[in-house]
Amino acid sequence: MKIIVNIDVMMAKRKISAGELAERIGITPANLSILKNSKAKAIRFSTLMALCHELRCQPGDLLEFQDDAEEDVSK
Amino acid sequence: MGKVTKDMSIRLTLACILVFSAVLLAADLFAFRWIGWYVAWRGMGRENVARMTGTLYAASVFGWLCLWALWRLLKNIQAEVVFDGSNVRLLRMIAWCCAFAALVFLGGGFFYPPFFFVAVAAAFMMLIVRVVKNVFQQAIEMKSELDLTI
Repeated sequence: MKIIVNIDVMMAKRKISAGELAERIGITPANLSILKNSKAKAIRFSTLMALCHELRCQPGDLLEFQDDAEEDVSK
Repeated sequence: MGKVTKDMSIRLTLACILVFSAVLLAADLFAFRWIGWYVAWRGMGRENVARMTGTLYAASVFGWLCLWALWRLLKNIQAEVVFDGSNVRLLRMIAWCCAFAALVFLGGGFFYPPFFFVAVAAAFMMLIVRVVKNVFQQAIEMKSELDLTI
């Protein structure tokens, strides 16, 4: 059971680099990398808001819930 | 607390550790003689000299370990490495040293009863250090959570 962060998908759609996005939303590239790799334990509303604003999307486009049970059934 | 005041406080504690180390070294070097005089002054049996000296030397091993761990802990804090796993290990070590020293003095208390008070004091110190260690452990978990909040 986990939350997957699909920032790289949206970044590819909007054709924006990680460095540029990090600069625009005011976080370090290292922190953006933590977020992209789903290593983050939490995300601030302000960061999510800035991401949605810069990537012109909804929070649901960036975050995806993955249930282990569903994953097992599909296997 | 200001940085200067904080630095001064750490330096003062480091100086206290050095003073305690000097006292412990003096006790290690002269305990046998001092205890000999004390036993003669109190009119206790000569067999008590070896017993009391043995208790003090056994406890001094844990005293040295404790002082070394405190020194390392303060050096870490001085280097601004505060909420770190190594500090929890050092606090755990200090707590165990207090516990073993308490056991040594508990044994010593059977032939020199005032050692029972030292044993209780060491056990109480162990309790305090363990609580601080648990607080540190919880703080480290909270810090790692905060560090990974983007």
